[in-house]
Amino acid sequence: MSGILAAPKNLRRRRTQSAVFRWLCLSLTWLCLVLLAVLLVHATREGLPWLDWQFLTDFPSRFPERAGIRSALMGTLWVIGFTALFSIPFGVAAAIYLEEYAERTRVSSMIEVSIANLAGVPSIVYGILGLALFVRWLALGRSVLAGALTLSLMVLPVIIISSREAMRAVPGSIRRASYALGATKWQTVRHHVLPAALPGILTGTILALSRAIGETAPLIMIGALTYVAFVPQGPMDAFTALPIQIFNWVSRPQEDFHALAAAAIVVLLAVLLLMNAVAVIIRIRTQGPRS
Amino acid sequence: MTAVEFEMTGPATGDLRRRSSRRWKEEGIKGMLFICALLSVAVTVGIVLVLSTETVLFFREVPIGDFLFGKVWAPLLAPKHFGVLPLLAGSFLIVIGAGAIGLPVGLATAIYLSEYAGGRTRTIAKPVLEILAGIPTVVYGYFALTFVTPLLRGVFPTTGVFNAASASIVVGIMILPMVASLCDDALRAVPASLRQGAYALGATPFEVSVRVVVPGALSGIVASFVLALSRAIGETMAVTIAAGATPKLTANPLESIQTMTAYIVQVSLGDTPTGTTEYYTIFAVGALLFVITLLANLLAIRILRRFREVYE
Amino acid sequence: MTENTAVTTEQGPTSEPAVGDAPILETVGVTIRYGDTPAIRDVSLRIPERMITAIIGPSGCGKSTLLRQFNRMNDFIPDAGMDGQILYRGVDLYDRDVDPVEVRRRIGMVFQKPNPFPKTIFRNIAWGPVINGFKGDLNELVESALHKAALWDEVKDRLHDSALSLSGGQQQRLCIARALALQPEILLMDEPASALDPVSTARIEDLCFELKERYTIVIVTHNMQQAARVSDYTAFLDTGKLVEFGETNQVFTRPQHKRTEDYVSGRFG
Repeated sequence: MSGILAAPKNLRRRRTQSAVFRWLCLSLTWLCLVLLAVLLVHATREGLPWLDWQFLTDFPSRFPERAGIRSALMGTLWVIGFTALFSIPFGVAAAIYLEEYAERTRVSSMIEVSIANLAGVPSIVYGILGLALFVRWLALGRSVLAGALTLSLMVLPVIIISSREAMRAVPGSIRRASYALGATKWQTVRHHVLPAALPGILTGTILALSRAIGETAPLIMIGALTYVAFVPQGPMDAFTALPIQIFNWVSRPQEDFHALAAAAIVVLLAVLLLMNAVAVIIRIRTQGPRS
Repeated sequence: MTAVEFEMTGPATGDLRRRSSRRWKEEGIKGMLFICALLSVAVTVGIVLVLSTETVLFFREVPIGDFLFGKVWAPLLAPKHFGVLPLLAGSFLIVIGAGAIGLPVGLATAIYLSEYAGGRTRTIAKPVLEILAGIPTVVYGYFALTFVTPLLRGVFPTTGVFNAASASIVVGIMILPMVASLCDDALRAVPASLRQGAYALGATPFEVSVRVVVPGALSGIVASFVLALSRAIGETMAVTIAAGATPKLTANPLESIQTMTAYIVQVSLGDTPTGTTEYYTIFAVGALLFVITLLANLLAIRILRRFREVYE
Repeated sequence: MTENTAVTTEQGPTSEPAVGDAPILETVGVTIRYGDTPAIRDVSLRIPERMITAIIGPSGCGKSTLLRQFNRMNDFIPDAGMDGQILYRGVDLYDRDVDPVEVRRRIGMVFQKPNPFPKTIFRNIAWGPVINGFKGDLNELVESALHKAALWDEVKDRLHDSALSLSGGQQQRLCIARALALQPEILLMDEPASALDPVSTARIEDLCFELKERYTIVIVTHNMQQAARVSDYTAFLDTGKLVEFGETNQVFTRPQHKRTEDYVSGRFG
């Protein structure tokens, strides 16, 4: 066929090129799923045989058969508990200020720039800050408190950003209705904005804390111990944490300890899966199926 | 119809003046919230302060030229050398390797998701990427040491038990979701009208994606690359576990190296007394790391701002 | 009809409305600016008590801006500034000592799109009075407000259902009840029926007639027929200036300015 409707000479080549490209992108997308599957299967296969009730309730030991994650699990619970205690009130309060009260001043821009930058700082730098500030200067030593404060500083920007987004999603018409009834700004925030934004704030907080649970570097910096055979009794006690225990076991040459590390990884991933599932459920139940 | 009148407690009509009790309460609340917001500035100041004061003490012992340009890093063993280049080289080796994997795969995934994929693929792919992003780095380190390294050693027998390549691969997988997600946002910000115009001119999907959409989203894509690489350089546990603790200037990924982050961990795990030069190396190396990631992040933010101005 | 090309802000003696010397709400030479752009220019208006005053005019003439200025809702717009005075029973609403919160308690507002809180019907109405210090019987308060808004019979059995389960017209009446629960003296209505169907619109107009026995109503509307039906006095604004103000009958049948006549007969806008 020739003339106006004839296909360009190179159309076939271009079509092939397009098909190959699409296939390439598709495979690489599938690659992500494959990598995830391989990672999970590998860890589960290595770790599952070692995962039993005794593993959860024993302390670490020189002998792999008798080693467990009890101190690590409890230590993680203690640290994350205190981290939530510090980071959530300050984070949400800062978000309320920035979203509802702040005017466009130099100080406000400085705050916004700080938060954006802090969100990108490597976790180990927070560890260094924690070491100098909490362990040395405030003389808190290598305690649960020092660890929690350090992790709080690290998750603070994340909580602020996600809480702001949740509040921004509350329609302005609700605020206007409230003000028109003679409410003050705080009354409006407290009775209307916060309740409406609560699911989003909750979701963001849970996700931020789930990131904190997996963090190792900051806790190593502040001196969380790697071999601990006791459970913390108070916030000033020394402690260890699940990711630190994993790191400890992985660093040993013996194969058995690598398998123990895998078992601990399975526990850690299970905890994370649970937290993320809770966050997703909250999001779905309040927003409907569209995410 | 009820005709009951209600009395409102409070000032009578006509008295519109501010009630001082209410004003104080509102100002008080605003003040407290402001202080919480200032905390973030305080943290930034704190980081800068801590890093700079201790680094200054470090540079009293070690000349800054020796630090930045020295080729040997041996701060803990005599004879002591404090040249940071081997650590920098180690970090960059990891970043390059991670970038080689994470950036193309992330971009390709983003292109597929935004240009080709139907709803079903997105509902599978998005959670997969989120899960990959949420896996703790210590788990990636385990994976590198116990899975990737044996695999590599099977293919390249000269690979060390600790090597840069395994860590690079794993860090690449780690930054992949970030690249995919940010590039996806960038690609979707390109208006549909641009795509439709190209299709209407008889372009193939490949040509539309690569010649029209990607260039249109270029700033956003570049910004995502910069952010991902910045994250790769700050990565700690995977490299500590899998890449080794031998600082050396090398371009061979099959050897063991040490990154800036891994060094900081190593020193912290040891018993280094406060106030010694070795102790200050934590802050000097940390400061260098902080400056590099800060510059990278500022660059990415600036690129992103320009990108948003074009499309919003 | 007087041919008057200059915009007038003073009423001539022949058209002085029976507002008297003490209008409940008065603007004196008010100019409202967003940044450098004036939205309202030198408007002097006297709103009579316990009457319905309509503010009409083409799109963008500043009607809503002026209305919002009456209850200090423009305070929330960062660039907004005002010259002139707004007096409420002789008191300058923008005096430094005046609390905008108190102003809004006494001058209520109903918005164009119904915006009930995502709470129960009961809470929607009870919330305003409670935060303003009401200590009496909430049940009576809610019932009375709902009666005044002609909504009681429809919702009396489901006071604790979500307000969002009501229809659009019902939601708007709920918003009116919510505003009335605070016992304001003045009710500002910003195109309250423009988002509603004709039946609901008619009900709201009927409601206005009932309400004016007790409350002063200022209603902004782009619907001229509605203004003609409902209001006692009408103000016609054009590009921020007050062109004419008088009894509705007179403004619509014997307008004093050509511009007014053009607008009410549909030649523009």
